[in-house]
Amino acid sequence: MALLARNICKALSQATQKNTVRALHVGTIRQQESSVEQEGKLKCTLIPGDGVGPELVVAVQNVFKAADVPVEFEPYFLSEVNPTLSAPLDQVSNSIARNRVCLKGILATPDHSMTGELQTLNMKLRKSLDLYSNVVHVKSLPGIRSRHQNVDCVIIREQTEGEYSALEHESVKGVVECLKIVTATKSQRIAKFAFDYAVKNNRKKVTCVHKANIMKLGDGLFLKSCQEIAKMYPRVTFETMIVDNCTMQMVSNPHQFDVMVMPNLYGNIVDNLASGLVGGAGVVAGASYSAECVVFEPGARHTYSEAVGKNVANPTAMLLCAVKLLNHANLKRYGEQIREALNRVLNDGKVLTKDLGGQSSTTEFTAAVINSLR
Amino acid sequence: MAARSVLRYLKLRPVVFQSHRCASLSGFDIQHKTPTIKKVMPIPKAHYGGRHTVTMLPGAGIGPELMGYVKEVFKYAGVPVDFEDVEIDPNADDNVDLDYAITSIRRNGVALKGNIETRSTEAGVLSRNVALRNELDLYVNVLHCVSYPGVNSRQKNIDIVIVRQNTEGEYSMLEHESVYGVIESMKVITNFNSERVARYAFEYAKRNGRKKVTTVHKANIMKLSDGLFLEISRRVAKDYPDIIHNDMIIDNCCMQLVSNPHQFDVVLTTNLYGAIVSNVVCGLLGGAGLLAGKNYGDHYTIFEPGTRNTGTSIAGKNIANPIAMLNAAVDMLRHLGHKHHAIVIQNAINKTINQGVHTRDLGGTATSRDVVDNILKHIKIATA
Amino acid sequence: MAAQWIRTAISSKITGARLYSSKVHKCTLIPGDGIGPEISIAVQKIFDAAKVPIEWESVDVTPVKGPDGRFGIPQAAIDSVNRNKIGLKGPLMTPIGKGHRSLNLALRKEFNLYANVRPCLSLEGYKTLYDNVDVVTIRENTEGEYSGIEHEIVEGVVQSIKLITEEASRRVAEFAFQYATDNNRKKVTAVHKANIMRMSDGLFLRCCREAAQKFPSVKFEERYLDTVCLNMVQDPSQYDVLVMPNLYGDILSDMCAGLVGGLGLTPSGNIGLNGALFESVHGTAPDIAGQDKANPTALLLSAVMMLKYMGLSSHAKIIEQSAYDTIKEAKYLTGDLGGTAKCSEYTGEICKKIAAQVK
Repeated sequence: MALLARNICKALSQATQKNTVRALHVGTIRQQESSVEQEGKLKCTLIPGDGVGPELVVAVQNVFKAADVPVEFEPYFLSEVNPTLSAPLDQVSNSIARNRVCLKGILATPDHSMTGELQTLNMKLRKSLDLYSNVVHVKSLPGIRSRHQNVDCVIIREQTEGEYSALEHESVKGVVECLKIVTATKSQRIAKFAFDYAVKNNRKKVTCVHKANIMKLGDGLFLKSCQEIAKMYPRVTFETMIVDNCTMQMVSNPHQFDVMVMPNLYGNIVDNLASGLVGGAGVVAGASYSAECVVFEPGARHTYSEAVGKNVANPTAMLLCAVKLLNHANLKRYGEQIREALNRVLNDGKVLTKDLGGQSSTTEFTAAVINSLR
Repeated sequence: MAARSVLRYLKLRPVVFQSHRCASLSGFDIQHKTPTIKKVMPIPKAHYGGRHTVTMLPGAGIGPELMGYVKEVFKYAGVPVDFEDVEIDPNADDNVDLDYAITSIRRNGVALKGNIETRSTEAGVLSRNVALRNELDLYVNVLHCVSYPGVNSRQKNIDIVIVRQNTEGEYSMLEHESVYGVIESMKVITNFNSERVARYAFEYAKRNGRKKVTTVHKANIMKLSDGLFLEISRRVAKDYPDIIHNDMIIDNCCMQLVSNPHQFDVVLTTNLYGAIVSNVVCGLLGGAGLLAGKNYGDHYTIFEPGTRNTGTSIAGKNIANPIAMLNAAVDMLRHLGHKHHAIVIQNAINKTINQGVHTRDLGGTATSRDVVDNILKHIKIATA
Repeated sequence: MAAQWIRTAISSKITGARLYSSKVHKCTLIPGDGIGPEISIAVQKIFDAAKVPIEWESVDVTPVKGPDGRFGIPQAAIDSVNRNKIGLKGPLMTPIGKGHRSLNLALRKEFNLYANVRPCLSLEGYKTLYDNVDVVTIRENTEGEYSGIEHEIVEGVVQSIKLITEEASRRVAEFAFQYATDNNRKKVTAVHKANIMRMSDGLFLRCCREAAQKFPSVKFEERYLDTVCLNMVQDPSQYDVLVMPNLYGDILSDMCAGLVGGLGLTPSGNIGLNGALFESVHGTAPDIAGQDKANPTALLLSAVMMLKYMGLSSHAKIIEQSAYDTIKEAKYLTGDLGGTAKCSEYTGEICKKIAAQVK
């Protein structure tokens, strides 16, 4: 019962979302005893995504069922490659705005959209919810053999502007211009996010990754914004690094990094690079934050569509996302329970999926995690 | 937030003055104390994925233990708020820690604070509480005093809101010894600050359905300074025809408060008188351990126990009353928009008090721990 | 100063080299700053030992004030490269401060160097976490994100333009396939992000596809930038030749260099319309300049690339093999590779190996 107490949190009366009430501090009538709305379960939007997404989501659901986690999923199928089956975007984003948390697989992004649309569905979702910050915590997992051990860094990426603004045009035939937009507001916002993250998680250093030596104005503005914000955090070390040097340092000495903050495209690159260092796309969890909601999704965005239906995908990343979701939503006990079970399975090394050098299937791996739940 | 909206309102209507006397912002003011003209870099507050980060200044005395209770209750109720602890060394003669605390509040926008001690008596070292308020321009302090039925007090059913100017007046910290044995302490009242605190009081009354605002002053003696304050509150009152406005001299006010407190609704005061009035009312209700105060500025907010005492003598004895700090935390939750959690915790607090689980200061025998456990129990019942 | 006398020393050597070959190629040499002069000397020594028919024409590219009042490369240097169509360049210091354009950029513009080629090969004897790297990154070098078109629209909002043209994309794509064919490479991978930047990267991708059809003997594949990053650090052996736009190339080429042990070991060549410039891309390392501690491998391998480009493959092979062997034996390694040898000792060892083969 005490546990249930913790999960009422997200059942917050939605009225509070509307900031109108907050304009003046009115809630002062202390003696009034309003009834508490009973909400047994945490509601969470679920977007399985394309490729192996649905299989991984089933794995998560099975583990949740086995651990008796009080989470109720609200599934929506959202897809760009399969527009006929896809739920309307506003319906999905409304659901996320309401539930404040979402677990999401990866959406496939075709190179060419049918309608000549430049924005991808992912971008639209991010834009509609203002999910401006992507956080990927890259951490070596026990039992996974990789070239680098004890990697532990956090990559924070601005994901609403920069190169991925989807502003492109063909000025004359054969010449395409693609605009990269950098604004001070958003740069400061992401920088502040990174520093706040560092403070909250007791991390010591923030590295700003940029290419301001070449893009003096655009990346220069990003760098300047980071420097400004850094002044407010005298107890966090601030460093800057040029992106190409950063990738080189990353593969040769990843331990020097702590929290890293960077614009959109660089973030995309470094995310994947760092994921590769600790065992690949199947084992790294990420999350996208807006002020109000969080979308948990695997850190390296690959649909792995060639493995659909083969039952070989690694559910580790998705399970880690779920663990992060539970921790975020004050269901820490369940979160840690699942994480420990996962670590046990990985440490034993008997049941591993192919990408980690094992022979087991997705379902076998999931079953192993369920069996080691304590 | 609240204060900001008030200010926006204020900015919309440029007010024309008939008479200024001495109180327009002089060169002296600008030089010595200008919390009003600080430019603030508009940076986003620490609010990510529905979770807030809040600066926690435990302060001295019973502060740290009370903060521990707050954290416990928050964790238990699943409140999506994370704290950034900032310790301030009370013995330090420099203000490094304080500066860091201020920076932290600037980043997070909101703070929960115990009383900070300034042990150094050097003239150069300011009171850190005052410095904090001035630096962040928290120009209004709001104390909502409501009786708890379960608390045995002399006056029942009191419901008074005290709105106090928080950054100037007698607390300007401008003192000097002109000649040996003669000390001058300056009291500063400015047009601008008086106006916005008055505006806040009336706006508060209007939005909360309050009927009356009483300005407390001593304009019969201090004709210019308190006179200005009174005059401005009268002028602001004209914009709120639905709300009754009267004024009262501070000495009379104190007498009225103890004899017939029910005549008061919203009380608007300058800094020093506010300190007096709020302590009087707290005394009427049952001591320092119950009420929580709010400090608002245009950009930042600090929540703290209503009567600003460190309680060093009872620190660590498990007898301090945790209610005031918890109430402050509840106020903070409402401010942040976590209404649901605020209600759950508030109800648990009310039930605990009204059931008679009281610490020694309220005449009970319970320890701090007992009170907190009781609150947790009620939270559990409410959410199970 | 040290550089000054080294340069005089170089010019005296040139006459010696000429004696060995009937058909002498002229080649511009830009020794560069910091450790540049000493590693240039090392390379020259090795070339002498291998009896390479090259005549060096050493030029100074210290910026001079041009007729328009701006600082730029001296005309003599430009003329030299234009005449010889080929150059070898040590590291240059980018002057800090405004007004100067980066010299590297200026050279790139001047000679229209559209493709940057960087082979990254794991060296036996120098242990890194990755021992099976053998990739070549080919990077479009003239446009893309680094086109330098940027402006502030309103206060706090900067727009920078990434420019992709069909001409440049096709040029580099065809070069990549040509390179693959010439160097017996099996596969070309186009690295792009056309799922996000559908038009610009889409155009680049289309040019690659078209080029692929002209070279049916080379395998062609397309990969997303992020996928490449992910796979590269896990299993670099699955890639061969990579071709990509400017920014991606910048990042990936440094990353690949990181895989094999840093920029001190990776050569680099810039292929242009008006010639080719081979260079070492590491820094000038002013802290060890003049102390005979620098590692000349990157510049040497760049020079080897140059020889291959000029068609002097037999010489190239001898030098390359000797250098690899020396590193493999690990008797004479410089400080950055974990050894204690001086630059001259390392050079001497390579010369000895070459001499054994040339005889």
